[in-house]
Amino acid sequence: MGVFEGILTGFQVVFSLEGLLFVFLGALTGTLIGMIPGLGPITAIAVMIPITYGMNPAMALLLMAGVYYGAAYGGAASSILLNAPGESMSVPTTFDGYPLAKQGKAGKALAIAAIASFVGGTISVILLTLLTPVLAQLAISFGPTEYFALMLMGLVMVSSLADGSTIKALISATLGFMIATIGIDAQTGTQRFTMGNVNLLEGIDFLVIALGLFALAEVSNLIFERKQSTDFTSKLGSLRLNKEEVKEMAGPMGRQSILGFLIGVLPGAGGTIASFLAYISEKRLSKKPHEFGKGSVAGLAAPEAANNGASTGSFVPLLSLGIPGSGTTAVMLGALVVLGVQPGPLLMNEHPDVFWGVIASMYIGNVILLILNLPLIPYLSKILKIPRPMLISLIIVFCIIGVYGVGFRTFDLFLLVLFGVIGFFMAYLNFPAAPMLLAFILGGMMEQSLRQALTISNGSLLIFFEKPITVALLTVALISFVVPIFRNWRRKKEDKQTLSG
Amino acid sequence: MLNSKNKKVSIILIIIAVVYLLASFRLPDYPYVPVDSDMVPKTLGFILLFLSILLFFVKDDAEKKQSIPKSEIKVILTVLAFVLIYILLFEIIGFVITTALFILITSWFLGYKGWVSNIIVSISIPLVIYLLFTQFLKVQLPAGILPF
Repeated sequence: MGVFEGILTGFQVVFSLEGLLFVFLGALTGTLIGMIPGLGPITAIAVMIPITYGMNPAMALLLMAGVYYGAAYGGAASSILLNAPGESMSVPTTFDGYPLAKQGKAGKALAIAAIASFVGGTISVILLTLLTPVLAQLAISFGPTEYFALMLMGLVMVSSLADGSTIKALISATLGFMIATIGIDAQTGTQRFTMGNVNLLEGIDFLVIALGLFALAEVSNLIFERKQSTDFTSKLGSLRLNKEEVKEMAGPMGRQSILGFLIGVLPGAGGTIASFLAYISEKRLSKKPHEFGKGSVAGLAAPEAANNGASTGSFVPLLSLGIPGSGTTAVMLGALVVLGVQPGPLLMNEHPDVFWGVIASMYIGNVILLILNLPLIPYLSKILKIPRPMLISLIIVFCIIGVYGVGFRTFDLFLLVLFGVIGFFMAYLNFPAAPMLLAFILGGMMEQSLRQALTISNGSLLIFFEKPITVALLTVALISFVVPIFRNWRRKKEDKQTLSG
Repeated sequence: MLNSKNKKVSIILIIIAVVYLLASFRLPDYPYVPVDSDMVPKTLGFILLFLSILLFFVKDDAEKKQSIPKSEIKVILTVLAFVLIYILLFEIIGFVITTALFILITSWFLGYKGWVSNIIVSISIPLVIYLLFTQFLKVQLPAGILPF
């Protein structure tokens, strides 16, 4: 099936009553949850998963994808109105968005963010449509060694690009992989680390980990910040932009959408790096760099275009290889596996409705989001006024329902609380949680491909040096493991020299 | 000796790695495969051991010193206790009643003083969720002592 026929199939899926309804619902919920400061896209998606149990997989993914890019749109609103970014990728949005709002141009700032998000989303969906089938075609020839190397590379890159210490991120990832080994081993039937507990035989469900490490840990931050003011002027001002402003935005939006997409495709990088890079590079390129930080139009448009580009780009490895490159896409993978769909190079042929449906839904989703965000934003932003205490108890209730729906056991609920506590301490000690979640979801797949490869070679590790792609991927993984640690060590040495000198 | 946060965490992680390794070495053999179920766990255990020892020698990040005031610790522990009681009674008393009480008490405890709206929200939201999940989404939630 060619790209053109494929995308037509996709539009058929989306342009049904059900399809449009779920894209709309996803986009709306995503925008609303994304607006609430402190709640990121992982929480937004994880909270929605229980609703998708028993749904058609194509519709479920349509809904979750809508939540995902909706959250990227919504994150801009709290950054602009409250100077409180929902997560790290919308931090650069506050640099120029909040000053604009303080000047009484909040409406204008929201309009710029919505348009930039739309352009970023749309340009990158076009690139995604062209790139994903090509990559999937290439990946069909991949054997277990390539898959193992690819996942290892993704995991190491996520860890070395995470905020803060690389060693801590790698520890997170190792612990996540260890948690994945709990349960009955699929190949030999051996019980591993179950401590005789029947409830652990099937392992721990990914939703327990996602909701515990992210949603509950974010709830504890909301508790600390519950007294923070949620006041903002309800008068947003005009949403209209003049010709010069549109001209000023056009260049940065175009460039940063493409750059953001490319960064998003790489495992580990994602929205945060894309939006910071966009802000810094546009400041250098700008003819009016002194305006940056004081309400620059280009400074607001660039990171918004870039982070939406990156959000879309991160779907490429998920849809073509079946390997998530970020915590957020990892949650989506987990949800799809629950629904009986295994993403990967065969997805395009086995479930064309899911594959092309999601891609087509992104075109429609971006249009819906532009409509939602431009005229309706003054009404939607009212969600920022929900009293924090009420919000906190409701989020806890949603986490409990979500986990209970997996196995109908209170045991899982206690595990959820345990992972909430672990997530809280990890945030307190600056251990990033995304590598742990990603390693947990990739862990089972990595072990399987490793053991498949070693079964083929009868136990010899040399099989990993036979194919050029495998060797190349492993080399990248090794470099991204060694370089940050070496840099850390050299920095320390320099510190010592400056101290003694 | 254990004055830095990283050193304390590192010791805990080393203990976890050692316990995990001991458990991996005690996994039973399965003779018919070239790679047995203990291979990956053993590797992971040694990786964690290695990384934890590295962490022991890493200085704490100076800029990000977080401290939580004592009163806030009490607040979060109380909410944690509410959640645990909620879970304990979840299947026994049922979803609607426990959830209503949980929302009411937690929101009040965290500083929401509008009683009337709190009661309306606490009763209506669990009912709506219950009907939505059991009737439309076909996900069963515990009915408990309520007849429906």
